[in-house]
Amino acid sequence: MNSKIKKTIIDIVVFILLSLGAVTMLFPFLWMVSTSLKHPNNVHMFPPQWIPNPVIWRNYIDIWTIAPLLSGIKNSAIVTFATLFIGTFSTSISAFAFAKMRFPHKQKLFQLILIMIMIPPVSIIIPQFIGFSRLGLTNSLWPLILPGLFGNVSMLFFLRQYMIGLSSELMDSGKIDGCNYFEIYARIFMPNCKPALAANIIMWFMGLWNEFFGSLIYLNSPKKHTIQLVISTLNSYYASQTNFPIIMASSVVAIMPVLIVFIAFQKYFTESFALTGIKG
Amino acid sequence: MVPKREELTLKKRHSLDRKEALWAYIFISPPILQFLIFFAVPLGFAVYASFTDWNILNPTQHFIGLDNFKEMFTQEKFWKSFANTGMLVFAVPIYMFISVLVALGYNRKIPLNNAFRVIYYLPFVSSLVALTVMWRWLFNSQFGIVNNFLRAVFNIEGPDWLLDPKWIKPVIMLMIIWKMIGVSSIYYLAALQNIPKTYYEAAVIDGASGVKQFRYITLPMLTPISFYQLVVFSIGTLQTLIEVYMLTEGGLGGRNYSAGTVAFYIFDSGFRNYRMGYACGVSLVFLILVMAITLIQFKLSDKWVFEGN
Repeated sequence: MNSKIKKTIIDIVVFILLSLGAVTMLFPFLWMVSTSLKHPNNVHMFPPQWIPNPVIWRNYIDIWTIAPLLSGIKNSAIVTFATLFIGTFSTSISAFAFAKMRFPHKQKLFQLILIMIMIPPVSIIIPQFIGFSRLGLTNSLWPLILPGLFGNVSMLFFLRQYMIGLSSELMDSGKIDGCNYFEIYARIFMPNCKPALAANIIMWFMGLWNEFFGSLIYLNSPKKHTIQLVISTLNSYYASQTNFPIIMASSVVAIMPVLIVFIAFQKYFTESFALTGIKG
Repeated sequence: MVPKREELTLKKRHSLDRKEALWAYIFISPPILQFLIFFAVPLGFAVYASFTDWNILNPTQHFIGLDNFKEMFTQEKFWKSFANTGMLVFAVPIYMFISVLVALGYNRKIPLNNAFRVIYYLPFVSSLVALTVMWRWLFNSQFGIVNNFLRAVFNIEGPDWLLDPKWIKPVIMLMIIWKMIGVSSIYYLAALQNIPKTYYEAAVIDGASGVKQFRYITLPMLTPISFYQLVVFSIGTLQTLIEVYMLTEGGLGGRNYSAGTVAFYIFDSGFRNYRMGYACGVSLVFLILVMAITLIQFKLSDKWVFEGN
């Protein structure tokens, strides 16, 4: 009985501590949403107005005319979905080959590809930039899309790991049914990989949507800017005029797609099954 | 003498194998091409360019031997960028430590458990650009909420966090810590849940206290995931760039380059000063350093990582 009380007390303390942490985590987000609905004059009040008075909903209408937000969203969507659509195909089909097919030099080729995980992207950004500018592709979305069409190495690693865990009998039964290798991949293995695929695609989606550095170096004209670049440009421009609510409202819009996807699929992040393959 | 029938099947088998290998090579061609086009060729080019005075503004380039490397070792910004980057990496063990505690909390049956995990994870998935925009204003010296709070509650005038060379790095570290606790603690939770219950049962029978159980069971069982995180997250933190770009006024690396990281220095040399050859040289030094750190961490892991039985 005594140990039960002790346990309850510890639980209460832990709950309070975790709640305090949660407030710290949420605080900047709440502040951002709150600011986005304020009049510029009410931003710097202290103690801060958590519920704006008056609530300026107009900010969310004005941002679309003030900043090229819509074209930013469009450009980010093009990059994100083109990459995801084709990249997922090329990643999963190569993962299938590395997991279930027999061919010479398989291990060596796989290790070669894995080297790419260990290389900091910033260390080859300069020659990549020179290459794309020689091809006349700077100031277009191509440098942001092209590399990803060939796949995503960490996703390849996870999917291969996952497919190795699937029974090889799937392969044999496919062969007996007269399927060729592509059909075995598309009709038998892909449907069996859904959970692993979903988790990886969501993670990649977030990475692509939030991508900033590539946009910064490749895109010059505002019409080509991705959403992240629109936000950062807006920030440096409006910072001087201290029109905060506009900046915050645009940031809320930029964060929203990822937030919705994250909350809808949160179990892929917060439950341990999503971590198979990386457990020490 | 091999029977004819078997010879046929062997032949058939052989051709089937070749067919399988052919399909496989087609299937794996995308990542192989990616490796060649977007990795091997650029890297080779970087090696070449680092021996030239390549400048975007100047169409002709000359072979200048080791001059780029000699020059960078005399540049104050180069050394500062390495020191700054090194300091930021200390954020990793700090948030790993906090994350162990958070994960121990997650592992108890308390209300809102899942909501906590989602909330702690939010900063990690959100756009770094939007987050840094927000942080810039939180830490603004005149009307930032941090200094407003210090003024109102403690009646002290807070520093100019983002412009003060003393404070800019701690602010960036704080942001990294805030961003990473959610991920790190989920890794630790997974590891905690993987510890067999029987270990603790045996410890209870032997009369071990809770503290002893933690010291002799939990902690050793967490070392592999700690090692994994230390390697992966340190390498990630070494590449810190966007925080620096966004938090330093106009992306200048802070007053006296107090926040410039190596990644930022590469960006600065290449895309601000257009010195592509020099930037490639710095990139290579950075690349070698990152790989060396990875190798050293792997070597050291033998000493303290508990591999299980």
